[in-house]
Amino acid sequence: MKNDMNGKTYWRSLEQIDNSPEFQKYLQHEFPDGTMDIPDGMSRRKFLTLMGASFALAGLAGCRRPVEKIIPYVVAPEEIIPGIPKYYSTNLSFGLDSYGIVVENHEGRPTKLEGNPKHPTTLGKSNAWLQASILDMYDPDRAQSVLHNNNEAKLDDFALAWKELSTEFADSKGDGLAVLTEAVNSPTFIRLKQDFLAKFPNANWVTWEPVSDETIYDGISLATGNEYRPVYHYDKANVILSLDSDFLNTESNAIRHTGDFANGRRVVDENDSMNRLYVVENSLSVTGGMADHRYRLRHQNIGAFTVALAFELKAQGLSIPGVSVLSKYKSHSFNSTWLKAVAKDLIQNKKQSLVVAGRGQSTNVHALVFSINYALKNRGATIDYYSADDTNRPQTDAFKKIATSMKDGDVSTLIMFGGNPVYNAPADFGFSEALKYVNHTIHISSHLNETSKFAEWTLPLAHALESWGDTKTADGISGITQPQIQPLFGGISFVECLAAIVKADGKFPAGYDVVQTTWKTFLGENFTSAWRKVLHDGVFTKNIIKPANPFLSHAKLKSVLKNNPFSADADFEVVFKTSPSVFDGRFANNGWLQETPDPITKITWDNAALMSHSTAKEMGVKNRDIISLTQNGNTVELPVWIMPGHADKSISIELGYGRTASGRIGNGVGGNAYAIRNTNTLWASGNITISPTGRTAVLATTQDHHGLDIEKLAADAIQDRLPEIIREATLDEYKHHPDFVQEHDSSVPLVSMWDEFQYDKGPQWGMAIDLNLCTGCNACSVSCQGENNIPIVGKEQVEKGREMSWMRMDRYYSGDMDNPEMVVQPLNCQHCEMAPCEQVCPVAATTHSEDGINGMTYNRCVGTRYCANNCPYKVRRFNYYNFTKDLPEIVQMVQNPDVTVRFRGVMEKCTFCVQRINQGKIEAKNEGRDLQDGDVISACQQSCPTDAIVFGDISNPESQISKLKKQNRNYALLGEINTQPRVTYLAKLRNPNPDLHRSELS
Amino acid sequence: MSNTIKNSHISDPPLIIGNQTFKSITDSISRITEIKPPKEWYIFFGLAVSVLLILLGSIGYLFWEGVGIWGLNNPVGWGWAIVNFVFWVGIGHAGTLISAILFLFRQKWRTSINRFAESMTLFAVICALLFPAIHVGRVWLIYYFFPVPNQMGMWPNFRSPLLWDFFAVGTYFTVSLLFWYTGLIPDLATLRDRAKGLRKKVLGFFAIGWRGGNRQWQHYELAYLVLAGLSAPLVLSVHSVVSSDFATGIIPGWHSTIFPPYFVAGAIFSGFAMVMTLAIVARKVYNLEHFITVKHLSLMAKVMLLTGSMVGYSYAMEFFIAWYSGNGFESFAFINRALGNYAWAYWIMVSCNVIVPQFFWSKRLRNNVAFLFVASILVNVGMWFERFVIVVTSLARDYLPSSWDYFSPTIWDIMTFIGSFGLFFTLFLLFIRFLPMIAMAEVKTVLPEADPHHQDNGGKS
Repeated sequence: MKNDMNGKTYWRSLEQIDNSPEFQKYLQHEFPDGTMDIPDGMSRRKFLTLMGASFALAGLAGCRRPVEKIIPYVVAPEEIIPGIPKYYSTNLSFGLDSYGIVVENHEGRPTKLEGNPKHPTTLGKSNAWLQASILDMYDPDRAQSVLHNNNEAKLDDFALAWKELSTEFADSKGDGLAVLTEAVNSPTFIRLKQDFLAKFPNANWVTWEPVSDETIYDGISLATGNEYRPVYHYDKANVILSLDSDFLNTESNAIRHTGDFANGRRVVDENDSMNRLYVVENSLSVTGGMADHRYRLRHQNIGAFTVALAFELKAQGLSIPGVSVLSKYKSHSFNSTWLKAVAKDLIQNKKQSLVVAGRGQSTNVHALVFSINYALKNRGATIDYYSADDTNRPQTDAFKKIATSMKDGDVSTLIMFGGNPVYNAPADFGFSEALKYVNHTIHISSHLNETSKFAEWTLPLAHALESWGDTKTADGISGITQPQIQPLFGGISFVECLAAIVKADGKFPAGYDVVQTTWKTFLGENFTSAWRKVLHDGVFTKNIIKPANPFLSHAKLKSVLKNNPFSADADFEVVFKTSPSVFDGRFANNGWLQETPDPITKITWDNAALMSHSTAKEMGVKNRDIISLTQNGNTVELPVWIMPGHADKSISIELGYGRTASGRIGNGVGGNAYAIRNTNTLWASGNITISPTGRTAVLATTQDHHGLDIEKLAADAIQDRLPEIIREATLDEYKHHPDFVQEHDSSVPLVSMWDEFQYDKGPQWGMAIDLNLCTGCNACSVSCQGENNIPIVGKEQVEKGREMSWMRMDRYYSGDMDNPEMVVQPLNCQHCEMAPCEQVCPVAATTHSEDGINGMTYNRCVGTRYCANNCPYKVRRFNYYNFTKDLPEIVQMVQNPDVTVRFRGVMEKCTFCVQRINQGKIEAKNEGRDLQDGDVISACQQSCPTDAIVFGDISNPESQISKLKKQNRNYALLGEINTQPRVTYLAKLRNPNPDLHRSELS
Repeated sequence: MSNTIKNSHISDPPLIIGNQTFKSITDSISRITEIKPPKEWYIFFGLAVSVLLILLGSIGYLFWEGVGIWGLNNPVGWGWAIVNFVFWVGIGHAGTLISAILFLFRQKWRTSINRFAESMTLFAVICALLFPAIHVGRVWLIYYFFPVPNQMGMWPNFRSPLLWDFFAVGTYFTVSLLFWYTGLIPDLATLRDRAKGLRKKVLGFFAIGWRGGNRQWQHYELAYLVLAGLSAPLVLSVHSVVSSDFATGIIPGWHSTIFPPYFVAGAIFSGFAMVMTLAIVARKVYNLEHFITVKHLSLMAKVMLLTGSMVGYSYAMEFFIAWYSGNGFESFAFINRALGNYAWAYWIMVSCNVIVPQFFWSKRLRNNVAFLFVASILVNVGMWFERFVIVVTSLARDYLPSSWDYFSPTIWDIMTFIGSFGLFFTLFLLFIRFLPMIAMAEVKTVLPEADPHHQDNGGKS
């Protein structure tokens, strides 16, 4: 079972490798600390139960489900057939990104979001955030009414109050008036902003986001002298170097980037080529996990690394503008073999390479990266730059200025469009303090968050699925946001509110009219039919702008670079990371995302202080020890989690946790990293005091649960079996051994004692998952959760090992502990033709259908759990409690009416989206035709941004799935126990640079 | 009863000592049920009922909240409930073995302990049946297990070993009950004849008109023989079927053909241990040392030595096969048991089940009642851990390392298990209080008076 191909050893967590005597002792405890000691015990659950019940009632009162209009159907709406969902296209914005989506709408109730295949931002795909956004709309903790000094008021009260207030500003042209908004890409909002500034020219308009691409824009602006936004084309790049950029997951526009990247990596047979990815980063990310070569480096040294790279490129004959003024940093501290190989690879792939730096890097790094890409002639080939003059883009400096002038008493009225600056503004602003100097604060917010509590007026913000609006991407692709339902809690949209503020006539205009006003200028003639078409398609491409692709401004770049801004040398750094779950904290109250395990650490419901093994040793801490991080008297306490491949003397902490006013899900989850984040250390700080507290925390992970797996014996066993579970080779090995996958297969003949059922009639469903493409982004997992009404169970239950995910993401490490390679494997029910679960169920609740689906009959299930025990893949999930009973009624509305909600005591698992199969079959039958490939798409497949998951009819030789299964990389997981799974995997490949030894900083 | 087969153990000491007569036996055993029980009985009974209340409370909470109150998780879907089930079924084995198989083999020493053992069997099987019933997620639908004809033509899955379990244990309970009751009839009649008033009527009802006539005895003995013949294969079948729950599974550590004989040996082993524990206490409290003599205990120890060694052999053989199969998953499952994170459980099991019975080679220790008492309890601890090791360690670390987890019991696991002893002892103490705990009619047959013609070895045994 040893992997003879490359002789590498697999392991699963640090605790396996680090076989310290203390831990051995810890193991010998009958019940180690932490396994019995679950804080709060049942109380959190009880609390949720009680809160759920009370909020169900509250939800009823606040819910404005348009019952009167829909239920009676005295006059039936022409297009709606009860039970048949309608699909509408719309657009969601996410900072300056926007996503074209299609909404599944059941009798006026949106239940699921998918990418819009016509929209270039998604091409029909999605990610975990997009999938979970639908749950945000049904969040019972959303702001439910207008509040004036914490008393309930009406929208009209505000409109009249503003009418009065605005007269004060009419004369002063807006002196003392300030607006703070989120990054909004809506053309209507930007039009109204201009109207606003025309009316109040002295007003101060500031855009700010705690997590944004500000450094990238500033860097490009530094190099070119103007405002541009980059658009990357990863599909066109043969060689990609990421400098701390997690472009496959947490950076901007990740859905499209992941898809493009996968297209450059897809392999059909051994003669194919694939792109090569180098990643330099301090903590292991999804992108780092996909890397062919990963270089772990402290965040603060990445600038110096970029300089060293520039010099290396120069040494190899590439002229890089602006670099001459830089003094050469001690490049010996970087691996010169690595630098040489990367530089050679980049130069060999001019116009087909791409260097990309993460938003956490400084503007200078981005300027230098612009210059490198410029020299590599990637500009206009793998990156396009678009003019961004009219973008409502975030600016921290301006935000700081406004905070200062607030303290000076220069702001009498502050209008905040969304955002939560009290929670996430840099700590040195003292924003909540500054708010006290403002006479009138108006906050338009989806939730009564930390900031709303300080506001004089709080207006409930309607969700994007409840309101009219529009979006625009960097390259000018726009779309209309159309409401899918009336606002559940009576909210208003940004554009409605801004229009009312501009007009100040004591009324709120209809969002529909406001948006149409903008679009009349876009659509011109035949407005009505053009408008309808844009609504229908969800995308409008006639406004697409041409890339500006600016030239480098040598003088400007030189003037900046000559100050040598890259010589950071803090002894110890703390790096702020975007959370793959809650982003910047905006999804903190989203249970689906909180319970989705981190792609790397597998931690749910928490953030942690991530560090390398040797750093932890140096600090004398181990997993789950709480450390405190202090800056300027502000402290955040976080549990330690050792991350393989993390840079030494560096700690990464995720933003977005430690909320106090996010709602019942997000309050008190994790620690608030914003507390120690200052203006000049937005992304990393070398000035934070770290001390152990001597306490430990409970962290709920979905893999390596109790950290007990470290005995050498178990670690060895894992090493033995993983090469069979995850089959992997380099592209070169694959070319020489196209059948390397089969070399692992058992030579024992697989025979059955009986005449097995011949699955030879009708469609036969199967799935193939290409491990070479899967990044582990969790889109499939959250999509499955939404499609199949999978409950969340809470931190305590996850800690007990009772998470309900039907599609789980297994993550394994291999190689050196400091420089590991990471592989992920999505695992759902394998739909075995010889299913061990079916044979043991005493009541025949799980049985096989003729089309090859291992089905669950929930009604019949009595819950013996025998099937789950006998499942070699452990993909069955049991409802240990009634996890759905206490769902607030408003949250129940997100549930898919085509899927049974499971009761306590019932087993459940992946059904291959049987509801979608039946829908597809019925449609085909109604149309009098046979099912065709692509008629049935499983939820995980639909959301997968890399198309790693393919589902379909394996009896149709022409189907995509049949072709995939014929590939020589195809293998069945645990095939030697003859379960004959219908889900198979395609082996993972890596494309290492032949100049670099694989083990060398792999 | 038997008067045709000669006993060849000429030198054996008599089974019943203290110059007992028919009358003295009747008196001393019947009296226990007729007079106020001793103080100890009240103490034990009070304790047992309190513990039974713990069980009832735990089950109530279980039904209210769901099986989530136990320490189960995703890889470990079966925990203490199934461990307890197998444990109690195992204990229930001694009764039928003593009643049926030893009867068929004409082991007369069984007469002193067979009533005891049979009763214990019934109560242990009641405890055992409780667990599969309450461990399911939706207990109110448990009738789906029964092959009830219904309009949907929906039958249970006859391929599932859990269903075989249901039939096997159910059959075993039914036959054991019949056997126990049949054996009781002459004794019930004896009690009836000594009683007055309502007690006489009740006992008379259950004695179903027994007069002790020749023909009645003839029919009775034939019926007893037939039931013994029916029960004998059940001793082997019940635990074989229970072992199929695991043996037919695909999980390494379960998937093993050695399980049926290994489980049967283990069951008899634990059953005898339990009989021994109870008998030692009862003979002390009720002064029955004349009936349940050290010789009886010593013989039981010999049976335990045999079955304990069989169990030890099975443990060794499992390891050998795991290695010999060349299957990495299989060998890991066993090495992990002995050296992995559940090694503590494994070594408790080996110490109690393999090492402890080896002391029974010594005649001195076999005759030392205090030692036997401690050893019998240790054996039962060991046998509980055997089931724990099989059920839990195999599930906690099966094929894919990503799913590996660790099972830790909750307070409800522990209380339900302890509570089941409450149920067992409550039933047992009620039995001691109201029914003759030693089969009077049978014991009389091994007295010298029962064999006036000295056909049967001079009445010595």
